[in-house]
Amino acid sequence: MKIINIISQIKDGLNKSRKDLADKLEWLFRYSTNKSDFLERLEKLLILSDVGILATSEIMSKFEQINFKEYRENNFIFFKEKLKDILIDILNSNASKFNVYKDRLNIIMIVGVNGSGKTSIAGKIAYRLKKESNDILLIPADTFRAAGIQQLKILADQSGVEMINTKEGADPASVVYDGISAAQARKKNVIIVDTAGRLHTKINLMNELEKTKRVIQNEAREFSLEILQVIDATMGQNAIFQAKSFNESLGVTGIVLTKMDGTAKGGIVVAIKKELNIPVKLISLGEKLNNLYNFEANKFVEALLD
Amino acid sequence: MFANLTDKFQIIFKKIKNKGKLNENDIKNCLHEIRIALLEADVNYKVVKEFISDLYSQVQKEKISESLTPTQQIIKIVNKEITKILGSKQNDIIINSNPPTIILLAGLQGTGKTTTAVKLAHYCREKGHKPLLIATDIHRPAAIEQLQVLGEKSNLPVFSMGRNENAVNIIKAAIKYSNKKDIDILIIDTAGRLHIDDKLMSELQGIERNIPLQEKLLIVDSMAGQDAINSAKIFCDKIKLSGIILTKLDGDSRGGVALSLKKVLGIPIKFIGLGEKIDDFQSFYPERMASRILGMGDVLTLIDKVESAYNEKELKILDKKIKNHNFDLNDFYFQLKKMKNIGSVNQIMDMIPGFNNIKNNINFNKLSNEGNELKKIEAILSSMTIEERENPYIINGSRRKRIAQGSGTQIQEVNRILKQFYQLKEILKKGPIIKNISFH
Repeated sequence: MKIINIISQIKDGLNKSRKDLADKLEWLFRYSTNKSDFLERLEKLLILSDVGILATSEIMSKFEQINFKEYRENNFIFFKEKLKDILIDILNSNASKFNVYKDRLNIIMIVGVNGSGKTSIAGKIAYRLKKESNDILLIPADTFRAAGIQQLKILADQSGVEMINTKEGADPASVVYDGISAAQARKKNVIIVDTAGRLHTKINLMNELEKTKRVIQNEAREFSLEILQVIDATMGQNAIFQAKSFNESLGVTGIVLTKMDGTAKGGIVVAIKKELNIPVKLISLGEKLNNLYNFEANKFVEALLD
Repeated sequence: MFANLTDKFQIIFKKIKNKGKLNENDIKNCLHEIRIALLEADVNYKVVKEFISDLYSQVQKEKISESLTPTQQIIKIVNKEITKILGSKQNDIIINSNPPTIILLAGLQGTGKTTTAVKLAHYCREKGHKPLLIATDIHRPAAIEQLQVLGEKSNLPVFSMGRNENAVNIIKAAIKYSNKKDIDILIIDTAGRLHIDDKLMSELQGIERNIPLQEKLLIVDSMAGQDAINSAKIFCDKIKLSGIILTKLDGDSRGGVALSLKKVLGIPIKFIGLGEKIDDFQSFYPERMASRILGMGDVLTLIDKVESAYNEKELKILDKKIKNHNFDLNDFYFQLKKMKNIGSVNQIMDMIPGFNNIKNNINFNKLSNEGNELKKIEAILSSMTIEERENPYIINGSRRKRIAQGSGTQIQEVNRILKQFYQLKEILKKGPIIKNISFH
């Protein structure tokens, strides 16, 4: 797919949030009467995008030195570019791509709090990797949520991907154990593990996740492990705590930002990036299986601000 | 990162302690901290702005600057104001006098509608009703199965017609079915949807037009951010909502969204969801939510309870006794009884910020043993004579034996209590503890 296409698709999906934010930015340019007025408007814009008070103050501090008159005369183009640069800088540090290797086993573990969209993401990743001609096995390690397994099964069928079967209430670590042996026996090159949603404050459930990871490390041979944390773009500052806890327990290798097709700005990724520096790898913009994109900071910010 | 507001206030007030009174600037600093606390809690930016300016006039009116306990005063005002916004009289389900009562649950994806539907049905059943759950989420894969499995587990009936019938027809059929089965409450679980998804929003409007709904409840994730008021507003515009249920409050989110929604929409928050179990579901208490948003646990309740447990006179007497080093076992006994009035260790932990989570996660045998321990100490103390409590040094071997027998404990335990008491006395000699633990 051509890059231009991807940008326009993301723009399409982001249309609602983009329009809103771009309007406000325009307004910010035109109607700020003095520097403090301007800074207040900028603060409002960032806070309303869920960037959070800490990251917002830091971004604002970079504007405190500006010559307001000069910026105004230049129609604020400089300002816009500066804001873009700051955001891209934050999002780009430690950037790394979502990638699978053909020459070894790739294990992708999907984690997150309840309702963030893990199962849908598992389905979308399966769909995409299948199209890129990988041999995939889905493991439904969400044996807790009623019908969680069925939901994944439906998505697996839609993507034409195999799923190992299990029963509700089964021990997730042993489901993963079985799944890994099955995948290795069948010479699969990708395993996607859909885990149960859990609040990061539930120590027992976090321990269970750590155990699942240990099983993977003990059982799999020559593999690369990707631990993706799914974060809902409509979430507020608590998502920082979510990311922190999951990262401490598991060592998260990437973030997947979901529900970006609404009006929420997803500024929470800026806050998380600032705080934890975990790369954002994928972004999801709708309910269809193909609504999954690589996260690219400049395109994301560009789509948001232009 | 989210320091507790009380701590931040302490820092501000420490700086100004020597000045005695607060000036305009001090108050502004406090309001600034409150503003940050609210924004960190994800209260909407516009709501915070309005709230802070209201608060400013309130603080002026109540003459905080002349108060001797400004921290407490300001926290109380903030809490009062937030509670006022959050509060509402109407927070139960409105039951139709002519059954059935039909309740619609709606919301964004992943907020917990299905789980909440089952909890609400269970809640209604506990109140003596006969609820029926209706599965209308024909969009998400396996959503109907999820409701069926949950219903089956909890022995609650679920009505479904698969994914090929539209929501209105399913509900109409369910109403017909319920008439025969003596069911008086119908709870409709709908598909999660984006507020800007016109097709799905008109599905909801279709339900509203065709079905006589008693309650239209929006399910909101307590972890939601700034955009929550935008989506809720649209839900409210499209179908006139009658209330809100806030979910996932068993986590550590501060739940500022509650304040934003209540302020902007003016509809009551009726229930909260607190976990995955069917009875992790409660009525909404504005005071508790207010403290949570401010990141203060239920400190206010604790302040009130401590205040009501002690009167000024008692505190002065106690203070004097400690200063004069004649704090005796009678005082110790008296304190113990006071503590019991404040609450069990468990209840006190509930009220302290951050402790709630700790409590959920650790094995609580140890602390419930502490409750027994307090009982034991009380028994030992009450088996002593007043004279013994005044002057513990007279408690010799035979007295110890008698006290142990009288309290049903061992001599070693009596010894231990006495030893602890002497240690406490040593500590008290070194300086005033009461000052350090007071709330200003």
